[in-house]
Amino acid sequence: MTSESGALLQIKNLKKHFHVGGGFLGGLGGQKTYLKAVDGIDLEIEPGTTYGLVGESGCGKSTTAKMVLMLEEPTEGEIYFEGQDALNMNREGRKNYKSSVQAVFQDPWASLNPRMRVENIIGEPLEINTTLSRKEIRTKVGDLLEEVGLQPYQAGLYPHEFSGGQRQRIGVARSLALNPKLIVLDEPVSALDVSIRAQIMNLLMDLQKEHGLTYLLIAHHLATVRYMCDKIGVMYLGHMVEEATTDELFDNPTHPYTQALIGAALPYHPDDEKEESILEGEVPSPIDPPSCCSYIPNCPETFAECNDNVVATKTVSPGHTVGHCAHCVDHYGCYWFPRVNPNIERNQ
Amino acid sequence: MASESKTETATDSSSSNGRIGEVVLDVKDLKTYFVTRWGVVKAVDGVSFNLRKGETLGIVGESGSGKSVTSLSVMRLVPSPPGHIVGGEVYLQGENILDLSEKDMESVRGSRVAMVLQDPMTALNPVFDIEDQVGEAMKIHEGLKGDGLKATVIDMLRKVRIPAPDIRMKDFPHQLSGGMRQRVVGAIGISCSPAVLIADEPTTSLDATIQAQYLRLLRELQEDTGVGIIFITHDFGIVAKMCDRVAVMYAGKIVEQGDVRTIFNNPIHPYTEALIKSVPKMEENVERLYAIPGNPPSVTNRPSGCNFQPQCDGSNPDCVTQEPILVEEGPEHWVAYCAPCKDTHGCKWFPRDI
Repeated sequence: MTSESGALLQIKNLKKHFHVGGGFLGGLGGQKTYLKAVDGIDLEIEPGTTYGLVGESGCGKSTTAKMVLMLEEPTEGEIYFEGQDALNMNREGRKNYKSSVQAVFQDPWASLNPRMRVENIIGEPLEINTTLSRKEIRTKVGDLLEEVGLQPYQAGLYPHEFSGGQRQRIGVARSLALNPKLIVLDEPVSALDVSIRAQIMNLLMDLQKEHGLTYLLIAHHLATVRYMCDKIGVMYLGHMVEEATTDELFDNPTHPYTQALIGAALPYHPDDEKEESILEGEVPSPIDPPSCCSYIPNCPETFAECNDNVVATKTVSPGHTVGHCAHCVDHYGCYWFPRVNPNIERNQ
Repeated sequence: MASESKTETATDSSSSNGRIGEVVLDVKDLKTYFVTRWGVVKAVDGVSFNLRKGETLGIVGESGSGKSVTSLSVMRLVPSPPGHIVGGEVYLQGENILDLSEKDMESVRGSRVAMVLQDPMTALNPVFDIEDQVGEAMKIHEGLKGDGLKATVIDMLRKVRIPAPDIRMKDFPHQLSGGMRQRVVGAIGISCSPAVLIADEPTTSLDATIQAQYLRLLRELQEDTGVGIIFITHDFGIVAKMCDRVAVMYAGKIVEQGDVRTIFNNPIHPYTEALIKSVPKMEENVERLYAIPGNPPSVTNRPSGCNFQPQCDGSNPDCVTQEPILVEEGPEHWVAYCAPCKDTHGCKWFPRDI
C-alpha cells in the first residue's frame, strides 16, 4: 500500500492505547481499562522542513515519537514514509526505515552509555548497518565530531568528561552517522541551560540546511518551537487540538489551550507587562477523562455523546485546523478541552 | 502596617515600593570549597549579597556556577566532607548563623530559613502522607499537635490552593500531580513563616501552564507573608517575571548585581549581556539565535582572567592569580572587573575556555 502525498512522513489516525488494569481476573466480570495516550492523530511532514509537536507532559507527544521510531507498536493507524506503508514493510524495508529515521533524546546524561567511549557510541550504528572497515569508521567518527563542533581527538573520551551541551552534540553526531532523512528530536534542549540551548538549536538548524534533513521536534517550550519549526501541532490529552504554520499559529492562536500556552510563556523584560492569562485547573487523567468540553463555560453538557470525547476538526483558514467537540460544535461551537477544575461552577 | 512600610521605603533608596522592608539576610564574602582528588574546587568563592523583607532576589547562572551551593551554604546543608564553608559571614536577621552549633541550626532551618527544591518527587517522602510532611516542621518548631496541628495543615494547604485540603492531606505524594506536589513542597516551605525562602529552580520540572500557576502562587504568598525569596534559576524569563534584584553568578563569583530593570536595560558585564541575549523570543522570528562561544572554565583549572574579551591577550599571569574587583557602576549596581587590567584595558572578569 502506498500514499500519493509528497510528504516524507505521513501519519493517519494513529492511536496508542495502553492496557492499564482490569482484564485478567477482573476481566471475567469487569471491563478492561485503557490509557489512551494517543487517540487518533494525523500529520504530514514535508521533506526538508521541521514539524513541531507541542504539549504538556502526558499529552502523547513522546508516545507519537516512539511510534514513528518503531519503538512502540501502534494500536491503530498508518504511518507512511516516502509514500511507503512503514508498518507493513518486509525485513529489509524495516531495516532501511530504521536507519533513515534517527533520534536525539532529551537527557544527554541518560542517553549516552557511560561505559562506552565516544567513538563507540557514534560508531556503533555504522558497525551494524554498514560494511565500513574499522579505520573508515574511525575517520567517519572524526568527521562527525567536527561537524557538530567537537574535536576528533575527543573520540577517545567517555561521556562523563563532557558538559551537558557537548553531550547533546555527541547525541546529534550519533543520529547523523547513517545519513538519515528524518530525525526525531525529543525535547533536545530542555535539559540544558538556557545559554547552551541556543548553541544546540543553531547547530541543528545548520545541519538541516546542509544535509536537507527533516525534523520532527517534540517540545514544550514555545520559543524553541518558534525558532525551529515550519509547522506546529498542539497536542492535548492524546488529540491534536490545533495545527498551523508557525507564523499563523503564533499570530492567530484559536484554541483556548494554545492561547493559554502562549499566555503562560515567560516575559523577556521586567517591563514587558503582557496580559497574564493563567489556565486554572489541571489536565485530567487520560485513563478516564471527563466529558470533552466540561471546561467551556457556555457548554450545557447535555449531550451524552460528549462523554465519548470525539474530536471534530474544523478549518480556520487553509492549513490551520482546530479541534472542536464533535457533538456541540454546531450548537455551541465548543472547543474540545476537557479539564479538571474544582473551582469552576458549571452552569446548569 | 502601610505607614510603617512607607517610612522604611523613605529611608531605603533602592526599594521600588512599600512591600520591601529591612534586610533579613546578609551574606558577606561567603566561600565554600570542595576538597577533591583533583584539587580544591572553589564552588562559591567570595559571594556577597543581601535580601530584604518581601523582596525577591534572583541568583542566575549556568550549571556549575555555584548558585545551588550558595543556597545550600546559607542553609548550612553543604555535604561535608568534601564541602567546607571556609570563610565569610551569613547574617540571618542580624545573627551570624555560621557561628551557630549544629543543634541551634536545626531550630533555624525550616522555621526562619526554608527551601523549595527543584524536583518535588524527591523532595517529598513517598511513604508519609501529605499531612505528616506538611505538619512535621510545625510540630517540631511550633509545638503544635492534635487538632490544632491538623487545622493549621489544612490552612497551609488551602494557602497553596490545594482543592479539598481536608481530603487531599491524607494522600501520598504519588497520588498528586507534579504541580500539586510542588505546591505541597511550597506549603512545607512557608509552614513556619520563615523570613527567607530559598527556591532552587522550583519550576524546572513543571509544564509551562503549571509553571505560570506556581509563580503566581509564590508571588501571592510573598504578598501575604512578606517572606524574602531567593530565586535560583538559569532562565532570565523567570527573573523578568519574579525578581526585584538580580545577582549573576559565574564560576563561583557574582559578576554583576543590581536592580532587575538596571540589569535588563543596562547590563555592563558581557556575561550578563550574553545571557539575556541568548533567551529566544517567542514574538520574533529570528534567522539565528545568539549563542555564547566557548565553555565555562573548569572549576579546578581556571584559564587566564578575562581571555574572553578581544582586547585581552591573556598573557598577563596576574590575571589568573589576582581576584577580580567589584566596582559600583551605579547605585547598588556592582560589576566584576579583572583586577590587573581594569585601568589598562577595562576588562571585565570573565575567564572562558575557547
